[in-house]
Amino acid sequence: MESQIELIYEDIRGKDKAKLIKFIGDLDATNVETVLEKICNLFNEGIYTVVADFKKLRYVNSTGLGILLHFSKSAREKGGCFKIANINENVYEIIEIIGATSLLEIYDEVDEAVAALN
Amino acid sequence: MNIQLPYKFELSFPGDIEYIPAIRKFVSEVLLVLQFSPKFAYRSEIIVDEICNNAVNYGCKTEDARIDLICNVYEDGIDFTVKDPGGDHQHIERLKNAISVQSDEKSNTGLGLEIVRMLSESLNVVIDEQNLTSVRIVRKREDISQNN
Amino acid sequence: MIVDIKEVAATPEAVILQFSGELDFESIKSLVDAFKTIDTSSRKYAIAEIGKISMISSAALGEFMGFRKTLLEKDGDLVFAAMNMDIRAKFSSMGATKIFRIFNDVRSALNAFKWQRGLAPEVINLTFPANLHLVPPVRQLASRIAKQKGYGNKDSFRIETIIDEICNNAIEHGKRGEDQNISVKIDIDQKQIEFDVINTSDPDKLETLKALLKPTHEQKIHSEEKRGRGLSLIKMLSDELSVDCSEKGTVVHVKKVREVKNGISN
Repeated sequence: MESQIELIYEDIRGKDKAKLIKFIGDLDATNVETVLEKICNLFNEGIYTVVADFKKLRYVNSTGLGILLHFSKSAREKGGCFKIANINENVYEIIEIIGATSLLEIYDEVDEAVAALN
Repeated sequence: MNIQLPYKFELSFPGDIEYIPAIRKFVSEVLLVLQFSPKFAYRSEIIVDEICNNAVNYGCKTEDARIDLICNVYEDGIDFTVKDPGGDHQHIERLKNAISVQSDEKSNTGLGLEIVRMLSESLNVVIDEQNLTSVRIVRKREDISQNN
Repeated sequence: MIVDIKEVAATPEAVILQFSGELDFESIKSLVDAFKTIDTSSRKYAIAEIGKISMISSAALGEFMGFRKTLLEKDGDLVFAAMNMDIRAKFSSMGATKIFRIFNDVRSALNAFKWQRGLAPEVINLTFPANLHLVPPVRQLASRIAKQKGYGNKDSFRIETIIDEICNNAIEHGKRGEDQNISVKIDIDQKQIEFDVINTSDPDKLETLKALLKPTHEQKIHSEEKRGRGLSLIKMLSDELSVDCSEKGTVVHVKKVREVKNGISN
């Protein structure tokens, strides 16, 4: 059994092959494979443009960060992107510590991330 | 609330990652009860998570392998010791290398220890007298304000 | 493709297949031959370790599915372990992650098998200072562990209550002092969870405690007394309760059987 994490998908207005995904809960070693699979399924459907809303993502460890970096890289390789918005202070600090702030596309708000898609 | 530090907690659990979320949350909640700041508790949770994940993934080779977590809580901080049965010098060298290598040379597997190193005052790795790999982390309170 | 087949001495029903190379169309014959060497009447749980596999074809996956079907018919299973991200993505695109269970490593796969078969309970030990304010994190720990191991919400809540009451009692009626600790041992398996909570007895309260534990002194839950319902509550929520009280210490033992309705944990 895994730590609790939920992904809620929404369409992004005006963007055909794009999704807004709300992450809710904790992202750690116990559920990272499930999240990996869900995002891979999205990529397999040809959706490579993703905005991730982390407003309700309380916690991320290094394993979770590892797959975020993987998503970012995979999306870019397919001509898309994996943008992240609304990161809380604690999670941001961890991203900063490992030096991933320059490797991930990070925005303060979802609206900014969506606007940047254009 | 009657709290007279230092306090000592000891946990022993099977070497399986599925126990780690409950363990790390326990540590975080205990620290909040003992009037450490939410930030301190969160960072400590991260440390416990990363070290325990490492212990399970690299230090638990047999089915009955177990992890021991010992926390000593003081007025000015906390120290954690995580022990796993890995116990061989290759495991120790790997840990020590992961701690000392620069960030841009790290693979994903070294990220966790890098995070721990950055969040701790000190991080030591030894093989103890029971041939267990023992990782000890010391964290000092950032300040005594509850608003941190 | 190379495959090594290993038996597991401690778990006779299990077998590990370690693969390396490529599971392409040309490796199908070797794969089928490897499956044929396994005596599925005794070795029903196969773990395919594919950390060293660089590619897997749909034909190979089909063979794995076929072998899994054979094992399932004998109440066994075939699972995967140590899958890298690329192979996992391939599995996902082929819909295979909905069919096969996948573990981080062989050890986790073996532990899952042992858990399923109820071969041995898993044990968690905790020692903490005897302070009432520490009980909420302790009861949450017990509840989360139960949930993590597949116990339902109702059961997890009852477990939380049981641990809360026992620990509160241990602290309130036990010996006071800065150096006093409470020990909690949790044994959990598929069917039940057992707790042993140990504290040092307060010599001044020992006789009172023994009197409280006598069956004739059972407190009714609905009485108007402010306190004293804890043991009654624990008895109602659990399947077994015993208390051993002596000068050395007090040991409370509780067993709670997992509630399953229509195949679903409650």
